[in-house]
Amino acid sequence: MRPREASFEGDFALSRDHTDLLCAVLSDGNLLEGSADRMKCSRCLLQLVRPGRTAAQRCALLPSTTQLIVQHNEQQQVLRYFRCSPASAKRGPVPAQFVNEDEQKGTKSLATQEDLFEQVAKEYKTKATFNKVINVFTKRDIRRRGHVEFIYAALKKMSEFGVERDLSVYNKLLDVFPKEVFVPRNFIQRMFNHYPRQQECGVELLEQMENYGIMPNIETKVLLVQIFGEKSHPMRKYQRIMYWFPKFKHINPFPIPQPLPEDPVDLAHLSLTRIANDLDAKITIYQSPSQMELLAKHNPNKPVFVEGPFPLWLRKTCVYYYVLRADPIPLEEKVEEPYDPEQCFDYPLQLDLDLDRDLGDDESFDVDDLDEGPVFAMCMTSQGDQSTLNQWISGLQQNNPILGQVPTLFRLDTGTQELQGAADRESGYRHQPHPESQREEPQPAEDPEAVVEEESRRSHGMKQ
Amino acid sequence: MSLPKISCVPASRLLSSIHDLRWLLRSVTPLSVPRRALVQSEYRRPGQPREDKPQWQMFKFDFSKGLEGIKKHFKLLRHEFSGRFVGPEGKPIIEHMLEQNRVIWEFRGPDSLQEWTLSSDREIGGQSEIYLKLGRNSDTCFLYGTLQNAPPRDGETRYSGYCTMRSKQPLASFDRKMHYDWSSFNTLHLRIRGDGRPWMINVATETYFAHQKYDLYSYFLYTRGGPYWEDVKIPFSKFFLSNRGRIQDDQHPLWLDKINTIGFTLGDKAEGPFQLEIDFIGVCKDYAHTEEFAYEAYKRNPEV
Repeated sequence: MRPREASFEGDFALSRDHTDLLCAVLSDGNLLEGSADRMKCSRCLLQLVRPGRTAAQRCALLPSTTQLIVQHNEQQQVLRYFRCSPASAKRGPVPAQFVNEDEQKGTKSLATQEDLFEQVAKEYKTKATFNKVINVFTKRDIRRRGHVEFIYAALKKMSEFGVERDLSVYNKLLDVFPKEVFVPRNFIQRMFNHYPRQQECGVELLEQMENYGIMPNIETKVLLVQIFGEKSHPMRKYQRIMYWFPKFKHINPFPIPQPLPEDPVDLAHLSLTRIANDLDAKITIYQSPSQMELLAKHNPNKPVFVEGPFPLWLRKTCVYYYVLRADPIPLEEKVEEPYDPEQCFDYPLQLDLDLDRDLGDDESFDVDDLDEGPVFAMCMTSQGDQSTLNQWISGLQQNNPILGQVPTLFRLDTGTQELQGAADRESGYRHQPHPESQREEPQPAEDPEAVVEEESRRSHGMKQ
Repeated sequence: MSLPKISCVPASRLLSSIHDLRWLLRSVTPLSVPRRALVQSEYRRPGQPREDKPQWQMFKFDFSKGLEGIKKHFKLLRHEFSGRFVGPEGKPIIEHMLEQNRVIWEFRGPDSLQEWTLSSDREIGGQSEIYLKLGRNSDTCFLYGTLQNAPPRDGETRYSGYCTMRSKQPLASFDRKMHYDWSSFNTLHLRIRGDGRPWMINVATETYFAHQKYDLYSYFLYTRGGPYWEDVKIPFSKFFLSNRGRIQDDQHPLWLDKINTIGFTLGDKAEGPFQLEIDFIGVCKDYAHTEEFAYEAYKRNPEV
């Protein structure tokens, strides 16, 4: 019951001069019915009327306080301490180093809340300092004057302090709202938008949590109920988050570990196993048995290509990989290889079942198959220059002797220019019937060094 | 709901049912579909005044355009009439009944790219870029560009950073709206090759009221990345309703009988280049999938 409390405090402040008025105000609330002599001493009163007390207790106490004030006017000096005006409340609990700053605040009228963050976090910005700022704000004023602006400023500053993914900080920030003030108390308030600015602020806080993928917990709910009530807009937002977040939490079929591995080798291992989609792939040389088989069958007269870099996004980090591949095999050279029934005796490798298919039971799509040529190997390096990739190819040669006979060509785009290069080449590509054959032409213009390397590599490959 | 239905009935049937032609001519004008809803208009910022131009300045009265229009529209009309003799939707009835899957969009040649529109946050003042071209063998669609998160400096926009490709609304002759009818299918089937970024698939259906204009049914498309193609099957029961990008409380299943467009949106807040290669987009019937709607559709008591 903070509003009650606040208004009563205001009345107390008035009562220093106008005690009669105070009595009139209070008698409106039928509060004078309580017995006056329940409490004789205003010192007991001081202990009881504290912010920690519940509203019910305070209400029970209040009639006697008024009586006391009326009766003991000589106690004014004592009472003045707790029926504080905002100015005097500021002074009490604020740590010493911020007092001066508060004085400055009084003179400046604009842009106060963000300054608080700037001044506190001059030296370092951590979670501890952020919490300190919130503490300073909550202790400064019992009415939390300007808390909406403070929360907006805090939301903006969160990423600077590195606490934008910390649920406890969000809860602490939500705790800045005064409790029970904004709860609608009758159906008309509930019908209309009660305290819209504060509710918007609460919704925005929850929205920022949502954007960073933080799921609120039960503490958030308790706070929201205390602040805005059961059916307020922030409460609705909370309910929506709690409905949709668990539904979409695990739908990614290719999940990424939350802190990505720091070590580049681990990262490369993770990404290559992710894109290879083959449990048999080896770890040291990232090549699966089927890829090796394909490479062994490759026609030695046709070149193989090293292409790249292609981007791969793991949440917010981008890694690049290179691919060893060949041109698609022309139709006349394709051989349908029958399964060797003796390859595996445990289970048949080919099933030819008559499943009693009906007329329309063809479930394959009527599209032309894409023929893009087989992928033989993939790699990831820190620097994508020719020499590194040559090392990779020679490493591959140990297990794939055919690479010694096959000419290897490098078709490398230079890092970030890839997309622009692709855009430039777009016109060249579009209408070519055999894009593969004309592929290398635009490339030299873009990267003259690659040409030299490419040809030397070609002759090199031929010699082997 | 009756007005759009009538406008979809082919002209011949309307004519046969009405004998007094004068009455028809009078009534046709209000029945015609509004033009703004028909053509995907440019993005108009909320609150920005509409362009105050007289009607005749908005149309191009051009002789060559008229000739082209006559050619195009009468060709479509001819197909429409002749297709009706073959069977429903211009296919033989046996094929229509036994159809298990259908390829809706495939990318063969530069003409197929004309069915798509691109947009990014550039139109609200952001810096993302998106381009579309044919893939290496000119039989795929290669979508690429750069994503930038910087919000426009207008003081009110807080987030930015999206890129979108959206198909165009299919139009019959004389610019009447047509819809895809996928009600005999239950799964969306795509063959894609991405770069590991998550995308979002948005399906827009025909709606009646103006406030439903921005209704979209969305689901997520996760890509694996790498040089291999992947086949993605997304059941239509998983799609959830959103309006202007906000998930709605009152969910209901996607009605597949009047699908207008499909779109791909990227907005994963990771700045940098992206690419997505699409081989084809089709729909299929998955008998193993029996779910009607993935989200709770019952009403609570009390309701809220």
